[in-house]
Amino acid sequence: GQQASPFVLRARRSMDKSGMPWHLRYLGQPEIGDKNRHALVRNCVDIATSDNLTDFLVEMGFRMDHEFVAKGHVFRKGIMKIVVYKIFRILMPGNTESIEPLSLSYLVELNVVAPAGQDVVSDDMRNFAEQLKPLVHLEKIDPKRLM
Amino acid sequence: KQGTFCVDCETYHTAASTIGSQGQTGKLMYVMHNSEYPLSCFALFENGPCLIADANFDILMVKLKGFFQNAKANKIESRGTRYQYCDFLVKVGTVTMGPSARGISVEVEYCPCVIANDCWNLLLEFMQSFMGNHTPGVPSVFGTKHDSIYSPSDTMGQYMELFNKIRKQQAVPVAGIR
Repeated sequence: GQQASPFVLRARRSMDKSGMPWHLRYLGQPEIGDKNRHALVRNCVDIATSDNLTDFLVEMGFRMDHEFVAKGHVFRKGIMKIVVYKIFRILMPGNTESIEPLSLSYLVELNVVAPAGQDVVSDDMRNFAEQLKPLVHLEKIDPKRLM
Repeated sequence: KQGTFCVDCETYHTAASTIGSQGQTGKLMYVMHNSEYPLSCFALFENGPCLIADANFDILMVKLKGFFQNAKANKIESRGTRYQYCDFLVKVGTVTMGPSARGISVEVEYCPCVIANDCWNLLLEFMQSFMGNHTPGVPSVFGTKHDSIYSPSDTMGQYMELFNKIRKQQAVPVAGIR
């Protein structure tokens, strides 16, 4: 669209489990009062969809900004999800057979999907992150710096 | 009789502010629900793809209201009774748009079969037994399908066509029959 900040949607699918629905996610802007929280908090809408999601998004007027393949491991501790993965660049658009790693490192991401207002969750996340030091140093990211 | 059913359809227009960037006229997107699939939401474009999503899609549409406007006055639905007769499922509903009744819809499904062309003749015979002259012709969704598997999106596509037809008709004092 012509707004100042484009509306971003993330479409995701499993590459190793066939027949699973695609996953569509909307992530809002970071919430106000965020500076004091240990974790980044954003409004989130998750939708499972049929496999024609990308065609449908194009029909809606969206265009693809970027795509990548992530391979790695998922760990869970209660409602916390820790994903350790490598990002792969896709060499030819839409062709997931031909990929190359973006870097040799793994990315470690800690995230939680929780009902609105449960701010105490970010404290639990900080406590867990402390346990991963000095192996992994988890930091709250500022999405605006990345856009 | 086996309970009730409801199929509804809401219309969204691409908002005027976004049309320029696509270089095309505004599009209509239909978001439909069917009580037969209570956890799902169907989003479709006429002659375009049909997305099957979970109920959170409705919440996404609220987030997207800057880009897609809900034409609330165009909301149309069919509500009525579900009948099971051996392997057939028949749903007879009153089609309403806002406060006014605009017609009656009849949906007939032959449950054991998933290949549309294989059971069309059987469906035709069954429908003729109670619909007589009002028995419809082959639905257009069957035309492109040939031997592929029938899916709920095909049902929603047929309802979308029916609702569009009804919307275009003048509101009549007596309910019309498809």
